[in-house]
Amino acid sequence: MAYILLRDLDIPDIGKLDVYTTNGGWEGFKKAVTQHTPEEVINIVIDSNLRGRGGAGFSAGRKWSFIPKNEPVKYVVVNADESEPGTFKDRQIMEKNPYQLIEGAMICAYAIQATAVYIYCRGEFWDLAHNLEACIAEAREQNLIGQNILGGNWSCDMFVHLGAGAYICGEESALLNSLQGFLGQPRVRPPFPAQKGGGLYYEPTVVNNVETLANVPWILVNGAAEYKKIGTPESPGPKIFSVSGHVARPGNYEVPLGTTFRELLFDKAGGTGTNKAFKALLPSGASGPVIPVTEQMLDTPMTYEALGKLGSTLGSASFILMDESTDMVWAAYKMIKFFKHESCGKCTPCREGTHWLAKLMEHVIHGEATMLDLEKLENVAKQMNGKSLCALNDFAINPILATLKHFRSEYVAYIKTPAPAAKPKQPAPVKKQLEEVAEPAGD
Amino acid sequence: MLAEKYAERIQKIFSKYPDKRSAVMPLLYVAQEEFGWVSPEAIEEVAVLCEIDPTQVKSIAGFYTMYSEKPKGKYWLQVCTDFPCALRGADQFHQALLDHLGIEEGGTTEDGLFTVEHVMCLAACDKAPMLQCNFHYVENLDMDKMKALLDQWRADAKDSAAD
Amino acid sequence: MVTIYIDGVGYEVPAGTNLVDVAKFYADNDIPVFCYHPKMAPVGMCRMCLVEMGSVEKDKESGTVLLDEQGSPKIRWMPKMQTACTQTVYDGLAIRTNTQQVTEAREDIVEFLLTSHPLDCPICDKGGECPLQNLTMRHGPGVSVFYFEDKMHLAKHVPLGELIYLDRERCIQCARCIRFSDELAGDDVLAFHERGRALQIVTVSDPPFDSKFSGNTTDICPVGALTTADFRFGARPWELKEVPSIDPYGPEGANISLSTRLDRDSGGGIIIKRVMPRQNEHVNEIWISDKTRFGHHHTRHIDRLVTPLHREKNTLIETTWDKAFKQIIDKLKGATSVGAIAGPGLSNEDLWELRQLVLAVGGSEKSLGIWPATMSGGEVVKQVGIAKGSNFNTMGKGTVIVLVATDLEEEAPIWWLRAKAARDRGATVVVLNGRPTKMDRYAKFSLRHEYGDAVGAINSLTAHIVNGNHHKADRAEGFAELQKALKKVKADDRYAAAAEAIAGADNVVVFCGAEGVTLAQHAELMQACANVLILTGHVGRTNNGLIPVWPGANTQGAIDLGYTAEATAELLQNPPAVLIVAGCNPVGEDIAAANLRNADFVIVTSQFDTATTAIADVVLPQQSFAEREGTFTSGERRVQRFYAAQGVIGESFPDWKIFAQVRHAIDKSTAKVSAGAVMAEITKSVAAYSAMGYKNLAQVERQFPDVGGTDQYYGGTAYQNTGGIGVQWPVSAENAEAKLNVVPVSSEKSKAKGLLVVPTTLLYDRGMLFVRSEIMSLRIPPAHANFSPADAQKLKLQDGDMVEINLEGASLTVQIIVNETIPAGVITLPKCLSDQPGPFAPMVAGSIEKVAQALAATGD
Repeated sequence: MAYILLRDLDIPDIGKLDVYTTNGGWEGFKKAVTQHTPEEVINIVIDSNLRGRGGAGFSAGRKWSFIPKNEPVKYVVVNADESEPGTFKDRQIMEKNPYQLIEGAMICAYAIQATAVYIYCRGEFWDLAHNLEACIAEAREQNLIGQNILGGNWSCDMFVHLGAGAYICGEESALLNSLQGFLGQPRVRPPFPAQKGGGLYYEPTVVNNVETLANVPWILVNGAAEYKKIGTPESPGPKIFSVSGHVARPGNYEVPLGTTFRELLFDKAGGTGTNKAFKALLPSGASGPVIPVTEQMLDTPMTYEALGKLGSTLGSASFILMDESTDMVWAAYKMIKFFKHESCGKCTPCREGTHWLAKLMEHVIHGEATMLDLEKLENVAKQMNGKSLCALNDFAINPILATLKHFRSEYVAYIKTPAPAAKPKQPAPVKKQLEEVAEPAGD
Repeated sequence: MLAEKYAERIQKIFSKYPDKRSAVMPLLYVAQEEFGWVSPEAIEEVAVLCEIDPTQVKSIAGFYTMYSEKPKGKYWLQVCTDFPCALRGADQFHQALLDHLGIEEGGTTEDGLFTVEHVMCLAACDKAPMLQCNFHYVENLDMDKMKALLDQWRADAKDSAAD
Repeated sequence: MVTIYIDGVGYEVPAGTNLVDVAKFYADNDIPVFCYHPKMAPVGMCRMCLVEMGSVEKDKESGTVLLDEQGSPKIRWMPKMQTACTQTVYDGLAIRTNTQQVTEAREDIVEFLLTSHPLDCPICDKGGECPLQNLTMRHGPGVSVFYFEDKMHLAKHVPLGELIYLDRERCIQCARCIRFSDELAGDDVLAFHERGRALQIVTVSDPPFDSKFSGNTTDICPVGALTTADFRFGARPWELKEVPSIDPYGPEGANISLSTRLDRDSGGGIIIKRVMPRQNEHVNEIWISDKTRFGHHHTRHIDRLVTPLHREKNTLIETTWDKAFKQIIDKLKGATSVGAIAGPGLSNEDLWELRQLVLAVGGSEKSLGIWPATMSGGEVVKQVGIAKGSNFNTMGKGTVIVLVATDLEEEAPIWWLRAKAARDRGATVVVLNGRPTKMDRYAKFSLRHEYGDAVGAINSLTAHIVNGNHHKADRAEGFAELQKALKKVKADDRYAAAAEAIAGADNVVVFCGAEGVTLAQHAELMQACANVLILTGHVGRTNNGLIPVWPGANTQGAIDLGYTAEATAELLQNPPAVLIVAGCNPVGEDIAAANLRNADFVIVTSQFDTATTAIADVVLPQQSFAEREGTFTSGERRVQRFYAAQGVIGESFPDWKIFAQVRHAIDKSTAKVSAGAVMAEITKSVAAYSAMGYKNLAQVERQFPDVGGTDQYYGGTAYQNTGGIGVQWPVSAENAEAKLNVVPVSSEKSKAKGLLVVPTTLLYDRGMLFVRSEIMSLRIPPAHANFSPADAQKLKLQDGDMVEINLEGASLTVQIIVNETIPAGVITLPKCLSDQPGPFAPMVAGSIEKVAQALAATGD
């Protein structure tokens, strides 16, 4: 079956406008603009049950339908800040098949009658962002973008904005702040981006991931019914899995949702490529919990729901594979250092918690920790859990909690100091006294 | 100074956004290109262009890792040593590169040519070990390839100095 | 009102208010916060205020609240805890604050904050009034599992400029300081640098932390991270006695608290250690300018006059009060004419006794002058001054705020702050002036007129209003005449939209200053403003009317008690035989005061030696505002008490006492023994002040949002208002029956040719009191004049050149600044920046000579 997203694998020159166009490119957009009202386009996408590919898996069409109709200024923002460790799918789409993203974004723009589209690219995508700008310029010349598109009344321009190295800008409200020239720190919601006051420049805004939008042209050409035939009813459509780590053939693989782990990891990625067996898998980059690779699990179909049952999440479908030689404590240490580095610092639990988790992991790695420190790791993680504005805080505790859960013995092996017979003497329970004093007044 | 030298580019940047403040990030790139790093003069100039206090520009430059508030070598080598790359030997590659150039992490070679820094995920996990040289991807590396590249960059630098 | 449920109890609270604020005020439930502050938009960063949150279930059809088996409302709880600070109350909102989950969350957050905090409370200035300290006592976990050795060590004495210091270790990244500066003060000069745990406050503005409100950040800082250079290491909060007082500089009447203690610096006497804001939601909320905060050093300056002086053989020498009084009494008794010029810092009591003395020795109201004598229009204020009960806090959408001939941030920073906040809530700002000022950034209409033509500009507004038939003439006395006169006014089209906005607004407030107008023009300008307000019906109702931007803390009081600028002008022209100058320095400030030397006998009360004491025959040491009791009347006509805070310096006396004793010696009247007694007499004699007895003025009410009460988290113990919130007197427009005068006014431009020198007011100047606060010396600019680029080019002058400007016989040496915002043909010359007097009224410059080249131009 032909590729829907990674079309460069079938047609290497698809990144050129003429090649893209002669191979069915822009048909979806033209169909949308000339044959459908904006509402119809939204309904088609709702019908297709296309779910956001950025991680949360929310219905793309429903997201579009939240945009108020009567606001004069509306935006589409493409989240191309792909920064999750192990994720490199959007990069391939934008590098090799940029017009499909541009077309998908313009269909979305038409559906909500946006006045402008901004593609927020992570700064490291320097070269591809400049290429995207050139592509947009070519499409503008062909009246696919800009004033009175395709001779109609609707005008909408498209721009590329480069980030500058901040994982947090993948969070949509932080991304909007960044695009407006502020620190990339998440905003308080509500108002949500789709609402007046919550979006880009405080105007209603759709924020979609690159891969999500790249699905849209195909849906417009082939219809929602055809799209739903791919994958599973709950998770229809093709999905790109970025596979990295200890595999023979790392890379992006486009397979329908519902394909089994075995098919992807062995048939496509070629297994570990060594005589070592797989030990563990991070199915959604550094932010989802790690799961051990077992025979039973390998035959599970990969869907948003199935990963949930396995105690993890599909997220952006970035599979980092670890073979049996991997030190899981070191793995957790690497990941907590990532989150510490990327915490924006806005919320106390995340700012302080990632710092202290990294400190404690340092003690473990250097053989300075006691068994009590393993408890502390769990406690700090619990202290953080669910207490911050955005999800980075909760992502950050996953590597620690999941490795402690599945691979605790590896942590114990790092403990050089014998566990103390009893807990070290704690200072007098000051808290208790305070509460007793404070209670009558408080109640 | 930026305003005159890059008038057209700056004009184009401003034309993209309804609010001047949005131009801070793109203009910081322009300034970094001109000064080699985000110097206090660079901050001042960007602030004047965006009509905000220099403090705001300084804040942006400090938050995002791709702006350097310290001078860098002519070739700024950012080696990804994040988890997926590390599974494929990126830490060892990073150390070997430092040893080869005789510098510490974050340091710059005495000739001012190379600065080596390790960075977080660059979305090239399938092509590790890899690095970005002045924001351009260089992938599927090993030390043999790296040495050849360093020689080539040294030669390029000599050529451009001779020009 | 809506019903919300807190821990199972229902409360009726105002809709649209913040959950943290109402929980505290109505349910006495202190939800702990660090980043949230009731004066700023919530950001939900510190996560201290996490509570369980839900909504009551209602029957879909009837809307009635569904009840559970126990008869309590059924509540649908959210799965995760939510921040209370980001929640606006709505009907049916329910929260739980007393569950284990919430208690643990508070412990968790406090522990996180403390792990990175140095816990150096014993040496911290905030210790004792520190929200972090307080909330740790109440909500802290008591023990911590973190390793002490792992604590970070960061820079502890980082100057954010010379006024404010940052301790990076103590900072908990709540961003209150950043948000205050950016959102409220409009100074985006603070920001976070780096990210994650490395996040830190920085400023790289020039000068550093360039804001006239910087000190407020130290008050709202919930830890000891920000401290003032003035107070740090100065005292512990629990040693301080808070004395309610009033800002002695500005017309806003900012409520302040003088933190005092017995101190080595005063040889064991009581002195002011710091000035803090005192919450008064009608006046300054909890904000004060840096001038108010740091400008208190004159009260105990080494140069304070400590004994009376009298002139002998042409020099002033020390004398005794008895001898000085005798001399004064002799002179006054035989005087052919008497006059007085009263300074802006004189209390109502001082002014009353001075007035009574002058009248007792044959003077009249025509011999009672105010200083500075730049503004007129007391009668206009009596009619259409801003209505009693008005409050900027309640202004927003539907309100139009008009600024006429004023640089409001420099002249009345608290009004500027509050007007801007109203604008941020949706009010429309109209600025009319000869040059742009900071408020223009926030103005919907920035209207420039030629200096000297302010009256013409307002007439244009009036003409548009009347021509467009937007006016209501029902209360306007003299409308026919005005309408006739308006026919001759050519209504400038640029004013049409602003006129329409004013006419269509729910509420209109006009701030009227005197930049670029002469005293005579100012009387007309005030009337012109009144015409607009009366004809659009924006008088006599709360949040409507005129606010004169008076030059001093008690100019309004002086006018209420019969003093005028016109009298001053007359006194400067024809000095009386005996002149009393009380608490001001006309000779040192204004070139027009040179003539005062010609008075036969000059009596000066002063805190310092000045150019005016230099021409005096008797100088009497006057007490500062901090050593005595009294009242000031703000520009919003609020009469407010200040109290004695520190010990008396030398043999100084309050002015009211000096004048009362002199009068007693002359007419045997009963000399009052207290300021309160003087006020009691005023209440009987001055109708507007009939309710201003000291007891009334001392009344307080609980403030909302309550940031100075018994809470543990807003810090700054001096916020609480203990001295009284003051009483406003009503204007005649508030009586719905009263007719109001509209009067045609005209604009006559000076015909003289040459560059027009326009004196302007800067907040930080070398006024005789403020200049004694050396901590502010770097913020006072050198004497300078702003030239337009065109004029500078014509005169071959460069930025930084020194020039001598000749003005009606006086000459003034200043540095020039080439400033693009200055219109061609105009030089703006800030007042009171040098020891030479300058012009106080606009006038045409004579010759302008370059006396020194700018350093850069000489190539050095």
